[in-house]
Amino acid sequence: MTLGARRLLPGLALLLLAAWFVLPLVPLALWGLADRWSAPAVLPQEWGLSGVAEAAEQGAGSGVVGSLALGGLVAMLATPLGALAGRALASRHLPASVLVGAVLLSPLVVPPFVVAMGFDVLLLRLAVPAWAGVVLLLTVAALPYTTYVMRTAYGGYDQGFDDEARTLGASPRQVVRLVQVPVLTPALAAAAFLAFLVGWSDYVVTVLVGGGRLVTLPLLVASATSAVGNEAQVAALSLLAVLPPLALLLIVAAIGRRGRKVRA
Amino acid sequence: MNGYLRLTGVSLRYGPQQEPALDEVDLEVPAGSSVAILGPSGSGKSTLLRVAAGLEEPTAGSVTLDDVDLAGTAAENRGMAMVFQRPLLFPHLDVTDNVAFADRVRGVPRRAARRRAREFLELVQLAGFERRTPRSLSGGQEQRVALARALAAEPRVLLLDEPFSALDAGLREEMYELLDELRLRLSPTILLVTHDHREADALGDTVAVLDGGRLLQSGPMRQLYTRPASLAVSRLLGGRNEIAGEVRGGWHHSPLGVFRVATSVADGPGVLLIRQEAVELTGADADAVGTVVRVRRRGPRALVTVEVGGPDRPGTARVTAELGPGLQLEVGRDVGLRLPAEALAVVAGNARQDGVEADPVESVDDGQR
Amino acid sequence: MAADGPRRQPVTGLPLAAPGRRTHTAGPLHTGRSRRSPRRRALLLILPAVVPTGAVVLAALTSALLSSLGLTPLVGQPRLTLDPWRAPTDHLWTAAGLSVAIATAATVLAALVGLATALAITGRRRSGRLLALLSSATIPVPHVVGAAAVGLLLADAGFLPRVLGVETGWPPLVGGRWWIAVVAEYAWKESAFIALVVSSALASRVASYRDTAIVLGARPWARLRYVTLPLAAPALVASAGISFVYVLGSYEVAWLLGRPSPEPLPVLAFRLFTSLELTARPEAAAVAVATAALALAAVAVAAAALRRMEGWR
Repeated sequence: MTLGARRLLPGLALLLLAAWFVLPLVPLALWGLADRWSAPAVLPQEWGLSGVAEAAEQGAGSGVVGSLALGGLVAMLATPLGALAGRALASRHLPASVLVGAVLLSPLVVPPFVVAMGFDVLLLRLAVPAWAGVVLLLTVAALPYTTYVMRTAYGGYDQGFDDEARTLGASPRQVVRLVQVPVLTPALAAAAFLAFLVGWSDYVVTVLVGGGRLVTLPLLVASATSAVGNEAQVAALSLLAVLPPLALLLIVAAIGRRGRKVRA
Repeated sequence: MNGYLRLTGVSLRYGPQQEPALDEVDLEVPAGSSVAILGPSGSGKSTLLRVAAGLEEPTAGSVTLDDVDLAGTAAENRGMAMVFQRPLLFPHLDVTDNVAFADRVRGVPRRAARRRAREFLELVQLAGFERRTPRSLSGGQEQRVALARALAAEPRVLLLDEPFSALDAGLREEMYELLDELRLRLSPTILLVTHDHREADALGDTVAVLDGGRLLQSGPMRQLYTRPASLAVSRLLGGRNEIAGEVRGGWHHSPLGVFRVATSVADGPGVLLIRQEAVELTGADADAVGTVVRVRRRGPRALVTVEVGGPDRPGTARVTAELGPGLQLEVGRDVGLRLPAEALAVVAGNARQDGVEADPVESVDDGQR
Repeated sequence: MAADGPRRQPVTGLPLAAPGRRTHTAGPLHTGRSRRSPRRRALLLILPAVVPTGAVVLAALTSALLSSLGLTPLVGQPRLTLDPWRAPTDHLWTAAGLSVAIATAATVLAALVGLATALAITGRRRSGRLLALLSSATIPVPHVVGAAAVGLLLADAGFLPRVLGVETGWPPLVGGRWWIAVVAEYAWKESAFIALVVSSALASRVASYRDTAIVLGARPWARLRYVTLPLAAPALVASAGISFVYVLGSYEVAWLLGRPSPEPLPVLAFRLFTSLELTARPEAAAVAVATAALALAAVAVAAAALRRMEGWR
């Protein structure tokens, strides 16, 4: 291998990897801004926002509200529960911790459609409202993520902080409020983000258990995609489903950076 | 094994605006010798080691091994091995395979590499630990394995980056003895860095004092103790006595008295330095007489501060002396001080000044440079 | 722990779970409200998460199993039977084979790309940071959206044939024989996940171990083989296992980008479950139980592989 090739190869590999991650999003962005884009043109012939208008007609507004509510509820439930569980797992005092850990990870192993099908019958018999059933199942699906993130965070959390705060006169409650929560804020934000994503992105549980009464963006995207010839609408709905979590990701990353800076 | 390492005018700057991490450092490590670089944290001593290893590229200057310039030679091809402060044993390999690592990456068959690894484990007195995982070792054992792993690479220069500073005092002592023994058997060329002058003394044939990226002084430790070239060196070596005064015609004048200056120092302000261990407390035959103003206990020995100065001389001077075990002195007692001439050193300047002297690079051992 | 028995604190009479130092702190600090044993406290903390999880998963699996054995029919008398398992037998085997093939292809591709990405991210070049940004940006993309995007990219009037200037003869990647678009979508999303997990496992320690390996004389390939890959292996196996199981049980991408027949397990189960025929429900349950069993087996394999690497961390 010549010296030139040796220098060029890693750069080329990086370029290919970058293309791999970006390429699928390019037609999405282009279609979202295209009024007319017939084959074989590489770029749209007419630019515009007709796709967005079509999407709005299809109920994109209520889809956003439904997805936000679902993601928000799941995050609100799964984050605190995951934080408590993560703390217990990190404490090393937990009896049967292997079994408990396996139970908490089981939603990652048992596919969501299996859980939804099995549980659907029970929910019907117990007369649980469909939306509550969806929230329950998705919270359970989100718990492995929140628990894992918080367990890692508590594992890296120095018990010395607590001891120090106690000897300085802080009550156990104050230790949590004034020391643990601020130090663990980045991890809590990351856990909440992942839980939100579970609710925000879900398709199969919402369809099977929600029974069509709960409308979310993934449902709209799927029904638009399964039909033919409305690419602009598909793209607009898809962008609507991508941009809010992307913005959240930036916020979470900023919180994480601040947390690192504080600790450094 | 046994290369002759030479650093010439090595400088390293991370940015044009930043202070240099290393500033024109010259250093020689003769084959088979051990040189200790002594410096406080942030002095650039670890950086110097990384430059020698090839992990950092200097902005100026050269590193040569047996008179071959190493510029452009990748770190893995330099034939050096380094032991870091953290042992950094590979967690996925057991003790033997860690020690066999250098052989394996050079393509030595596994069986042969392991056989050799066992020899090196014996060398660091860890026979019987072959199949253990790094996690099951104590801190001292981990560092022994790290040392064996570095030695098994048969480096021409062995680089040690504060390898024992995470160990407690007793283990450190054991490691010093182990290293002494290894030097007797293998006589590797060693360049090590430390912030502890006692460790530098224990492990180095010669010592180079580094501060702010600059080499302040180098030479055998005995000479550094008795003839520090600057206040900074004296302080880094734990010297406590700095008596401000004035040099006139080869004599140092201060409230302590008048003392002959052994090295040539120009007339003007000068600071008299003497190690607390060298000051003798005596009843008769004293060079100066004063009053005990403070006694600090330091294990079996105590540090006694004596204030000297009286009506016949202007100002006062404080001298700290080490009191041997079993001796008692209380505050307020009058005592005599004897300051042996061979232990006295004078550097130009004022004592209060924290800065470095005008031209601090002075090698005591002229043959070294 | 046995050796220092007399020093053990007889706090509650329960045997202390954790070995070593931490259990000996029951001094003056452990008075008043914290006299509760740490075991009970840990249990109380974990119950709110474990109880719903365990209840939901166990109840769902039990219910599916009972249904698949004909014990909980929507109409008629419960009767123990294996009919629901037999009815779609040929479907079941085909679907299982297809699901495993798709999941394997997607996971292998995702693991390769993810590992390469993680290596680039944790490497010395500054461009790695850009790659970290790009790959993590795909994490919040819902799989449905990923399917829509891959569809727009790979369909025969999609973006890729337009860019490449292929007007006729574009292979049927979407809905075609080889499930290319489905595998591509899963590989795309999961590679970002694997890259994230592996790079964060490597990030904290790879630099110091790399320096150690360098000074011991390891050249780039040797470093990759003897240091970086072994250090990355546990995270790679764990994340690839999770990806495999996810793909195995995921419905919407295969439904949107795949062909109508044969069907992979989730699509088959979904169709049977939502079918108007009442007899189809137990059959759907049988497919669901089979999928769960396959997933469990895959996890067992991954866990066994991970256990062999125990102690690396």
